[in-house]
Amino acid sequence: MAGLAPRVHYLAGFSCPAGGLTAGGPRVLHLGAEVFLAAGRELVYVYDREARQLTAVYRFPGQVWHLEALALRRALLVLCARRGIYCLSLDQARRSVSQSDGDEDSEAASPVTPVDPDTCVLPDATLCAFTVLGDLLIALAQGPAQWKVQLFECPSPGADPGPRGQIGEVELSTHTPPAGSPGKSQAPHFRPVLCCVSLPSSRARHSPPQGPRAFTLEGPLFGLLFGADAAVLESPVILCGLPDGQLCSVVLKTLVTSRSAPGDPKALVRILHHLEEPVAFIGALRTEPSAEGPEDADLDCLVALGHHGRTLAIKASWDEAGSLVPELREYCLPGPVLCAACSGDSHVYHSTPSGLCVVDLARGGPPEDPVQSDGPGGLPPLLCPTSLGVCSVVTLSVSSRSPAGGTELLALSAKGRLMTCCLDLSREPAQPTRVTAADTGRKIKDLLCGISTVSERVSSLKKAVDQRNRALTCLNEAMNVSCALLASREGARPVSCTTTTAWSRRELQDVLTATCLLENSSGFRLDRGWALCVQVLPGSHGSDSGSAVTYTVPVDQLGPGDRREVTLLLGPGADGALDLPVTVSCALFLSLREVVGGALAPTDPFKDPSLDGCPPDVLPEQGGICLPLSEHTVDMLQGLRFPGLAAPPVQAPAPCHPPGDPVGTFLETCWRPGSEPVRPESLRAKYLPPSVAAIRASAELLRAALGDSYSGVSLCCATLQWLLAQNAAVDAVRARALTSVQAVAPDGTEIRLIVHEVAVADLCPAGPVQAVEIQVESSSLANMCRAHHAVIGRMQRMVVEQAARGSSPPDLRVQYLHQIQANHETLLREVQALRDRLCTEDEASSQATAERLLQVYQQLRSPRLLLL
Amino acid sequence: MSHQTPLGSSVPQASCLDLWREKNDQLVRQAKVAQDLGLSPRRQQLAQDALEGLRGLLHSLQGLPAAVLVLPLELTVICNFITLRASLAQGFTEDQAQDIQRGLERVLETQKQVGPRLECGLRGLWNSILHASSLLPELLPALHHLAGLQAALWLSTDHLGDLTLLLQTLNGSQNGSSEDLLLHLKTWSPPAKESDDPLTLQDAQGLRDVLLTAFAYRQGLQELIVGNLPRALSSLHEAASGLCPRPVLVQVYTALGTCLRKMGNPQRALLYLIAALKGGLICGPPLLEASRLYQQLGNTAAELESLELLVEALSVTPSSEVPHFLIEVELLLPQPDPASPLHCGTLSQVKHLLASRCLQTGRTEDAVEHYLDLLALLLDGWEPKFSPPPSPRGPCMPEIFLEAAAALIQAGQAQDALTICEELLSRTSSLLPKMPWLWKDARKGTKESPHCPPWVSATYLLQGQAWVQLGDPKQAISEFSRCLELLFRYIPKDKEQGPASNCEQGCMSDVALQQLRAAALISRGLEWVASGQDTKALQDFLLSVQVCPGNGDASFHLLQTLRRLDRRDEATALWRRLEAQTKLPQENATWSLPLYLETCLSWIRPPDRETLLEDFRTSLLEPCD
Repeated sequence: MAGLAPRVHYLAGFSCPAGGLTAGGPRVLHLGAEVFLAAGRELVYVYDREARQLTAVYRFPGQVWHLEALALRRALLVLCARRGIYCLSLDQARRSVSQSDGDEDSEAASPVTPVDPDTCVLPDATLCAFTVLGDLLIALAQGPAQWKVQLFECPSPGADPGPRGQIGEVELSTHTPPAGSPGKSQAPHFRPVLCCVSLPSSRARHSPPQGPRAFTLEGPLFGLLFGADAAVLESPVILCGLPDGQLCSVVLKTLVTSRSAPGDPKALVRILHHLEEPVAFIGALRTEPSAEGPEDADLDCLVALGHHGRTLAIKASWDEAGSLVPELREYCLPGPVLCAACSGDSHVYHSTPSGLCVVDLARGGPPEDPVQSDGPGGLPPLLCPTSLGVCSVVTLSVSSRSPAGGTELLALSAKGRLMTCCLDLSREPAQPTRVTAADTGRKIKDLLCGISTVSERVSSLKKAVDQRNRALTCLNEAMNVSCALLASREGARPVSCTTTTAWSRRELQDVLTATCLLENSSGFRLDRGWALCVQVLPGSHGSDSGSAVTYTVPVDQLGPGDRREVTLLLGPGADGALDLPVTVSCALFLSLREVVGGALAPTDPFKDPSLDGCPPDVLPEQGGICLPLSEHTVDMLQGLRFPGLAAPPVQAPAPCHPPGDPVGTFLETCWRPGSEPVRPESLRAKYLPPSVAAIRASAELLRAALGDSYSGVSLCCATLQWLLAQNAAVDAVRARALTSVQAVAPDGTEIRLIVHEVAVADLCPAGPVQAVEIQVESSSLANMCRAHHAVIGRMQRMVVEQAARGSSPPDLRVQYLHQIQANHETLLREVQALRDRLCTEDEASSQATAERLLQVYQQLRSPRLLLL
Repeated sequence: MSHQTPLGSSVPQASCLDLWREKNDQLVRQAKVAQDLGLSPRRQQLAQDALEGLRGLLHSLQGLPAAVLVLPLELTVICNFITLRASLAQGFTEDQAQDIQRGLERVLETQKQVGPRLECGLRGLWNSILHASSLLPELLPALHHLAGLQAALWLSTDHLGDLTLLLQTLNGSQNGSSEDLLLHLKTWSPPAKESDDPLTLQDAQGLRDVLLTAFAYRQGLQELIVGNLPRALSSLHEAASGLCPRPVLVQVYTALGTCLRKMGNPQRALLYLIAALKGGLICGPPLLEASRLYQQLGNTAAELESLELLVEALSVTPSSEVPHFLIEVELLLPQPDPASPLHCGTLSQVKHLLASRCLQTGRTEDAVEHYLDLLALLLDGWEPKFSPPPSPRGPCMPEIFLEAAAALIQAGQAQDALTICEELLSRTSSLLPKMPWLWKDARKGTKESPHCPPWVSATYLLQGQAWVQLGDPKQAISEFSRCLELLFRYIPKDKEQGPASNCEQGCMSDVALQQLRAAALISRGLEWVASGQDTKALQDFLLSVQVCPGNGDASFHLLQTLRRLDRRDEATALWRRLEAQTKLPQENATWSLPLYLETCLSWIRPPDRETLLEDFRTSLLEPCD
């Protein structure tokens, strides 16, 4: 399709907002030689193509959203954001603006005329789109919950600016109003599009004057889409494409309402289709050659383009029995669609950030393919966009002014350049012409213009290539890191994460923090896109209790040897409770969308377009690579504080009492001058015996497990140090060679850990076994249980490790073990029975059951078992 | 900037308060000036500016911690803001509820009630504020005003339970049993405004009156639709006795007329309708109601006259009233519903009603005139100046054409009827299946038949009738045959489409379809009879009796033909059946057929069924004697 290469003529440049123009805002349209242009700001330019100069510039009080030129009335209608519709007289414009010199970039030279507020003919802040059909102005307003189609008499410039009689109104389907600020209604990101279609003028005796956005559809398609009533009434129809993807139609002749009788949406509005993405364009085409010649043919195909490229085409056809049936096809064109236009033949022009493309709905496939799936007249099964090599066009308008018979497009690029693209689709052979001086001048200008277009295109392509390169580099690095991490399952990992805990004071409250240290000892960089995910899960390994909280911290540029620290608050929360143990698991996450998404968004125009079409959808929203690093359980032993071990004075700040105990505080302050402070704890200590649990392990086992690192101290000291190894206070314990410590749990109750040696007599036939008993004591049962659980956890791990090393236990008296096991089993059964009873009983008796349950639990914890 | 004003020092704050207050008064005055501008476009702009000013003022007031001293002003500004916003947008939205909630939370802040129970929503907020022991008396007037707006919001969104609770709390009545909202509204007396209070767009007292009328009217209308007439009457009386703008009063009087008509008091109903007509610019609903009343009384002349007046009334575009920047009764009324008795439709709907009533009551000349008027109205021009929303209940456009054609044939203008039918077919030609009657030869083998809506067949039937009248039996018979061919091929579309599918899509009730087939068969049979081909006629009549057993006319035509052909045994059997049928009570009047079909059936009815039966009996008895 080399013949499609357009001849591009540069007309003028206009200033545009920083960062270029975006789709939706800018508009360009022409009326004879005059071009009207809004570049997404408050200004509307009038440019004369014959004189090649700006004739007027108007400043509006807000962003200009839409333009329509009324040829007969010589007026320009302008929709200004959140203001309403203004009506300017074009003749007046001519007069009011003084002639400026012929310089093309003369914007600065031409005076800017602020529009008179009195020319606002339809003040309505909710209007989002409008179109004109003869004497009628059709507007789409955004109501509080619905879109409303409103019908007004068309205003004319200079007329009495009285109120416009509203002729009709009907509500369209619901839409989700913009969330957020309840005050000012936000500018919608996508605006609806409007379009008028009518029956052929040969049949409709009172046909409306054709507007720029009005199409004439052939009878069968019209009747099929809008029903027999519309066909009998020969009424024009308004098509609305809404940002939610709905495509609906309203028969204009039926839209007469009054305040006492508003239109019934069920009777008036027909929903034709749902595109499921914002509708960007509605147009009509002639797909079949017609006997009447290409100019007068009625259009036989309705198309709608969604913002992401989904395209709908509807035609009328007859089925086997001879009944009229709609033929509906959806295509996927490369998106995002910035703007689109139809030229009256079978071509649809649409612009994406990577270029302007044309698709032919008559042919669709390659022309040499003679077999069409649906036979003659059917829509092509696949559309092949052909790039025209003009990039970043944000608004298009088709003008048939081209003398050669081809199509001429009026386009505005993202950088504010107005140009015409002549497409000679018929491709007549170039004829040698005599070159005159004027021609040469023009030719040079064309060439220069072509160069500028090409350079604009080159810069955009270059940007895309850079983006892809960067993405590829990132992916390569990510691949390396993943391989390194997955290869070294055991041993030192190239990227590691260690977790430590510490108490600190924050905002009058002591808090337990976990610090995750991410260390990159590999030879690769962790670059853009990587994030450290830390999941804090209540409960220990694997136990699935409660809900997890995940923190995601972006790892920004972690080179080889670098380390990064992340500190998290574990608790206590607002209620003063800290539920230990918690599991902190760390993982590295690479978001593919972040790395690759940007590079895939604009599609490559040189790639085979038929393979294109869905790249942004390839990546799921959450797609990425997740590499688990470490898992760490923070238990009670790590959460203990030791105010008694004040040797390092700043090590542990004096524990603050939990904030939620005002009575305690009160009593304390009351009794301070007296002899003895009466705090609930001390009262409890006085009258309630502390809960005790113990665990025994054979000295041999412990010695083997602790190994050499604790040589030189007594076994009890070593055991205590081992238990508190991950606590910050371990140094003080070591320094003092303690065998028992007084600690404070996170909620402020006290816990004692006592380690002493015992001899167990009955177990072994060889004689008493030396053992170490670890005793946990606390006035709070819950804390005692947590601490006991933590100790048992460590013991279990130790035993498993020792068993792996293959140390053999000494001879045991098996019967003794059996007895212990039997005892425990009966106790467990009783627990089960008591628990069942607890569920069914009433208040009073459940009290007793609960007490018994407690006793049984305490018996279960009694240190009868010995770990060997 | 006011934000830096230390709260503790009273002097600068007092001056600030004055400043804010002055700003509020100025904005209210600006809105009132805009109100008086009439329908100028400046008005909207000025009001919009005032709204933005109020919004800004509210922002600066709410930027500071809530203070009891400023709170009455703040609440007043909220009230003005909501009033202006709702009246500009002509309705309440979720935003207004949020504004109220914000105001209430500010009040709670000063009451030191920490942690408002948000889960209870607005109702919970009102409850905790009004039940608080620390409610300051200086806040009461503004709170009552805000409560009035809350009541309006709840009334317009039909949260009547919440509304009742709020009013109970405001009135201080503890008995939760009383559910009568009207009584609560009546007993609610918001504190009067003091002269030195900040200006308001609408005071609480006025708001209460509006609420009272709106609620009474809503309730009355609802009871009327439900059919609870005595309660409807009392509610509507209440609405009429209150403060009522004239357009609303017209509606209330019309509703009273409807109610009294249904209660069997036509004279009193008429009095109310006359009062409504005197009342104002909008005279559509009372005229339509009057026509229904006269129809019930059997006074056709007066009925049609009312309809004609209604057509005239609707031809004049009513000058729209300028809405005030207040919460008005209209704002609180439900959206006009086409099913409501007060809905008078558009000009073309009424014109169609008038024309069809004329046709039904036998005023054929008038019917023709009105139908032609209606078609001209609908088809001329392309602007939607006077066009019908084809409501699902009414006939679709093709049926209006058919009714017009039937009226023309009835009036003896067969040629014009043909023109109308041709026009209809030409306008829909592109929609029809491609040459359905040639289809059978062209593609044999396929079982499927093209879908063609029944009104196309009906058009051929009427064309045939027109040819009958023009005395061209050949043409007539060919039209009837074409009609029958389409009809017997017609397969009713699956009924799952439900009631929403209208005639336009080609759905017709089974009874109507049977009658249409019978009508076409009888019509063709009669033409065969006229041309002396009795055996062909016999076939058609036999078929019509089979197709539509409920159609008695077919049997009579069959009987006559059998008699003519001298097939005595069959004739006697048929006669006995007919005799038995005539003794049974007639029930075929309950069918609702399209008007054009009913008219058409009336043409092919045998003129004197009784004499025919009598003749037959005597002829049957003769040989026995």
